[in-house]
Amino acid sequence: MKKEGIVKLISAEGFEFVIDKKAAMVSQTIRNMLTSPGSFAETELGEVTFPEISTTILEKICKYFYWSMQYASGKETEFHIEPELTLELMMAANYLHT
Amino acid sequence: MSNPQKKRNFQIEAFKHKVVVDPKYADKTWKILEHAIHEIYNHNASGLSFEELYRNAYNMVLHKFGEKLYSGLVTTMTAHLKEISKSIEDAQGGLFLEELNRKWNDHNKALQMIRDILMYMDRTFIQSTRKTPVHELGLILWRDNVIYSSKIRGRLLDTLLELVLRERTGEVINRGLMRNIIKMLMDLGSSVYQEEFEQPFLEVSAEFYKGESQKFIECCDCGEYLKKAERRLNEEMERVTQYLDAKSEAKITNVVEKEMIANHMLALVHMENSGLVNMLLDDKYEDLGRMYNLFRRVTNGLSTVRDVMTSHIRDIGKQLVTDPERLKDPVEFVQRLLDEKDKYDKIISSAFNNDKTFQNALNSSFEYFINLNARSPEFISLFVDDKLRKGLKGVSEEDVEVILDKVMMLFRYLQEKDVFEKYYKQHLAKRLLSGKTVSDDAERSLIVKLKTECGYQFTSKLEGMFTDMKTSQDTMQGFYTSHPELGEGPTLTVQVLTTGSWPTQPSVTCNLPAEMSALCEKFRSYYLGTHTGRRLSWQTNMGTADIKATFGKGQKHELNVSTYQMCVLMLFNNSDRLSYKEIEQATEIPASDLKRCLQSLACVKGKNVLRKEPMSKDIGEDDAFFVNDKFASKFYKVKIGTVVAQKESEPEKQETRQRVEEDRKPQIEAAIVRIMKSRRVLDHNNIITEVTKQLQSRFLANPTEIKKRIESLIERDFLERDNVDRKLYRYLA
Repeated sequence: MKKEGIVKLISAEGFEFVIDKKAAMVSQTIRNMLTSPGSFAETELGEVTFPEISTTILEKICKYFYWSMQYASGKETEFHIEPELTLELMMAANYLHT
Repeated sequence: MSNPQKKRNFQIEAFKHKVVVDPKYADKTWKILEHAIHEIYNHNASGLSFEELYRNAYNMVLHKFGEKLYSGLVTTMTAHLKEISKSIEDAQGGLFLEELNRKWNDHNKALQMIRDILMYMDRTFIQSTRKTPVHELGLILWRDNVIYSSKIRGRLLDTLLELVLRERTGEVINRGLMRNIIKMLMDLGSSVYQEEFEQPFLEVSAEFYKGESQKFIECCDCGEYLKKAERRLNEEMERVTQYLDAKSEAKITNVVEKEMIANHMLALVHMENSGLVNMLLDDKYEDLGRMYNLFRRVTNGLSTVRDVMTSHIRDIGKQLVTDPERLKDPVEFVQRLLDEKDKYDKIISSAFNNDKTFQNALNSSFEYFINLNARSPEFISLFVDDKLRKGLKGVSEEDVEVILDKVMMLFRYLQEKDVFEKYYKQHLAKRLLSGKTVSDDAERSLIVKLKTECGYQFTSKLEGMFTDMKTSQDTMQGFYTSHPELGEGPTLTVQVLTTGSWPTQPSVTCNLPAEMSALCEKFRSYYLGTHTGRRLSWQTNMGTADIKATFGKGQKHELNVSTYQMCVLMLFNNSDRLSYKEIEQATEIPASDLKRCLQSLACVKGKNVLRKEPMSKDIGEDDAFFVNDKFASKFYKVKIGTVVAQKESEPEKQETRQRVEEDRKPQIEAAIVRIMKSRRVLDHNNIITEVTKQLQSRFLANPTEIKKRIESLIERDFLERDNVDRKLYRYLA
């Protein structure tokens, strides 16, 4: 059941984050995944599993996606990062090419 | 934010990733990826998870196994490609290209998927080690294993070329397929495209067109050949847009142009019965236009056409101006010239795209042959004369302008413009005095045009003539208002001509009949009363008279005659019979004029108001003349012997020419003095060049004549020769 314009990001613990496709595309990796010519499982189902990313991090990442789109359209707010999340967040960002 | 938890996390995290790495992990990961690649190539990707593969690749690179990943990739891909190339080789005949195309598409898709998975490696590992990125790698591997594979390479080229050949001979081929294959070659790199396809393509095409052009040249005429060449050219351009690389367009069109046009250019232009000359003669606008368009693409194409056209026009022109038949009728002659010019103007505008170089070539050719005939200025003047007398009757104003503009165009080609001026003055004088001009406006318009072309000096005298005519009208009015008693007698109309403006004629007076001379005297006194210090002399050879005559049976006619003729006829009022000698004595008309005048009165059928004894054509000294009582004419008004501008006879021509030469001498001298005054010192050759340049607008100066003038000026102390250098001249103030 894949709705148009929506993707599901699943964390290591199994939490499902439903966000717009547009937001998800901020990540290059996810973008490639979803636009790849091959028929990977992800594109079929419209959901991506990240077994190595924890829920908190994934949640922060989703927030980042939306903040990034906001920033691009002119609203220049701050994106606050809790220091304890920093390292994991950076690694996930590297992985996701964000 | 001191949080004990955080600290703990930090510590643990720092070590985690470094420790847990064993080589088996790398192999395991690789195996997963290898398997995935296989699946991708087997179109089985749907079962895979992108994320998993991506993560695996990510991890491998992160753990410094990037090298293993990369080399593994290369090996796997190569293996697959070898398989693929085998299957392509096995494809039968026509299916070869299709199979190739399909496998290429598959490969591309797979490549993209693989690239996506291995994105991280692309980003980091390859950057740092400077290896070829995945996508490029895929293309290179494809190229090396498939295209360059010995069995496929040659076959591919042959198939492609064969298809092109088939299309050229009229078959329909699968253009979409061609397009894809060509695109594949272009994607693999422009050098691949060029080597694998373009080069041989161009060579084969050159061969093909060489053969074809040979065949065509032998069997077709020029027009048809050009049509075919154009068609082939368009075909090739279409082919490029349809399925070749755009950059090939220039190259292939060059090939076609070279083979079909450049190599056969001369043959085409000079082809018997259908070459350029024939096209020009027959006004084949379409063919000429085609030739122009095609030859424009080739170097020297247009100059060849232009040269042939120029020599052709010069030949025709030369024939025209030296043909004795044509020269008998000057009006016809000039009309023919105008027609030719019109014809070529039309050719240039409709077929040659108004190309300036062609226009220039046309102008120079015309200039060349018009000046071959020394009588051209005279003839052009005669043509204008004819038009202004009767040719422009009833023609609308714009058409008049058009014709006059055309005449001006011919005038510009003349080198001896001063000769034209002389003749024009003569003809204009005759026109004005006999009142025979069709339209005053047309006359003035032409004067204006001449003024614009040659300057005020040229036309000042001509305008003087017009002014004289106008003034004379006013004078006549004044005369009659002041002498109302003359209303009953014969009517006199006088044109007072300023000597400088009008062409000089030797004036000889004759004896006017009594009625006339009284009237003339009255006029003379009237005129000199208002204009003191002037001298009037009657030009009896240029006047006309209208007289009423009653003949034997009572028939009345009004005769329009020249002044001389009037004098002769009036004598018969007093006697019935007169001999030649008596007439001569009484009128004092010069002998040659008198003979001509009597001839026109007595010997011309239908106009013989006089009877001559004996009835011969020539006038002898002993002839006797009577009034012809039996004279009959349909018309009441009879015109006898008007003074028409005619083509000059030989002696007259010589005379005019001499006068022109005489007039040139002072002009040359004036030019020399002008130049020397500003330059002070100048050598012989330079003087000649400068003088010629200055006088160019009027006539072509003869160097020997210039030399003579210089000598004459030296004698008169205007110039001196330098003591040291005999060729140097100095101006003497």
